Amino acid sequence: MSDHGHHVHFEYQPALPISNGKVIMWLFLSTEIMFFAALIGTYIVLRFGALTWPSPQDVHLVETIGALNTLFLIISSVTIVIALECARKNQALAAKGWVLVTLLFGTVFLLIKGYEYNSKFAHGIYPAHPHSPIYEKADIYYASAVRGRIRELRTEIDTQLSEWGVTIAAPATATTEGAAPADPAAAPASTEPPAEAATAAAEDVDPGRAEDIERLKMYRQSLDDFEAEYVAPAELAIRENPAASIDGRLLLERMADRIYPLHGGHASDEHESDHAEAEGEDDASTHIVPAALQSGGDGHALGINDEHPWMKLPIRIPGGNMWASTYFLLTGFHALHVLVGLIVFFILLFIRLDATRTGTVENIGLYWHFVDIVWIFLFPLLYLF
Amino acid sequence: MTEHTHSTHHDEHASHGGLGKYLTVAAALMVLTAISFWVANSPIMDTPSVGWLVMMAVSVTKAMLVIMFFMHLIWEANWKYVLTIPATIMSVLLVIALVPDIYMRYHQATPERLLHAADVPQAKQHIFEITEGESELGARPRSAARRLAQPGDQYIEIHDEQSSGDSH
Repeated sequence: MSDHGHHVHFEYQPALPISNGKVIMWLFLSTEIMFFAALIGTYIVLRFGALTWPSPQDVHLVETIGALNTLFLIISSVTIVIALECARKNQALAAKGWVLVTLLFGTVFLLIKGYEYNSKFAHGIYPAHPHSPIYEKADIYYASAVRGRIRELRTEIDTQLSEWGVTIAAPATATTEGAAPADPAAAPASTEPPAEAATAAAEDVDPGRAEDIERLKMYRQSLDDFEAEYVAPAELAIRENPAASIDGRLLLERMADRIYPLHGGHASDEHESDHAEAEGEDDASTHIVPAALQSGGDGHALGINDEHPWMKLPIRIPGGNMWASTYFLLTGFHALHVLVGLIVFFILLFIRLDATRTGTVENIGLYWHFVDIVWIFLFPLLYLF
Repeated sequence: MTEHTHSTHHDEHASHGGLGKYLTVAAALMVLTAISFWVANSPIMDTPSVGWLVMMAVSVTKAMLVIMFFMHLIWEANWKYVLTIPATIMSVLLVIALVPDIYMRYHQATPERLLHAADVPQAKQHIFEITEGESELGARPRSAARRLAQPGDQYIEIHDEQSSGDSH
């Protein structure tokens, strides 16, 4: 292969003996270094200054998926360097092929990241309010949020059922009636005349909707069961003795645990939790989920939000809001940078990548390596710490 | 002519790396990733700060490998320092700038923050502690503050996990 077909023509600057494009790319990378240093530095101080931090299972973070992503990004870094070598040797077709491979690995990285984000969103973990239903502790504010969501669900179900011609009255559970004679919010449901069964109003029932009606009635029943067993006792205990309500607080913890069970704090504590359980310590006082209850692909325990995904009750994750905020910020900005890189690779596919284009490939390669370096730091900080 | 000189210099560039060198670096990166992953799940993490130090050292090594070889800087001239050193200084300054606000107020919290703050899991696993006013359900959750907020409090000292061995 002859290298003398095209003489590369550079203009030298007095200060730096490299091409314009390379200077600009390095200057841009310097600013990017500062950008990510600020974000990563902030993450470090926030994470280690936080009162408590969720364990990976609490937030559905899977370390092996992060490691897989790291692997793919490293491979894509190698392939873009190989593409550069091909371009230098004027092997335009080979260079383009390697750029395509880089593009594919980068796309796989983004797809895996999308899958990870989806597993967070599916469990109600979002970056910020008001979308995020994460509360830091199981206090009365959390209880009122749960209560509000239950009301919302009931209204939705009842509206839908009445559209299909079915009316339902609130079941007269002992705790709600006894505890809330003056509770105005419970009034609309409980003051309806009780109907024995929905069949009493069957004349308006939409026949094609029988299955959906049964499903909604089942939903409503599970909602009522959950409320009666977990929410109402807690509210009752607090209402009876708000000043020193130990039982009320514990019942709220129990409710929060039923909605979204936790795995007890920082990952480094888990070695000791195994020890504690092996020594036969009382489960009720340690709050750690026994191995038997754990399920779900990322080792998290199942709560009522998993059994009934339509409920989407507010969840309690200590440190969860800060975790979500920093995680989505860091990985989100990194993913945006990856996306920009992929767009440029896509554009490169339409250019002949011979020896004259070495500079272009080199510069985009520099950008891509920087993206890789950022991920090299993000992976341990977010997944392994 | 400068063009000729540069193009011959340019030819030498191509032979600097060579495919073998890049593949070796790639293999080293993957091995380092595996080491980092292994450390995270090993008994080294029983002393978390040691584990974090090792993982950060591994990350810095990987970054240097990418910078030196993939980004070609090991073969570049002194201009590389003109760009990298100021960027590094700025990065370090940015982190140091956060120290007075966050690191130096590490053990303090305003009452408003504690109102909604998470409960601290105490003494490594027990979220609940047994008190003398124990209810039938067990023990009560523990707030992070060393004492209750009084009117006029600006800051309250909060617990460090290492010092949570003392009684409330």
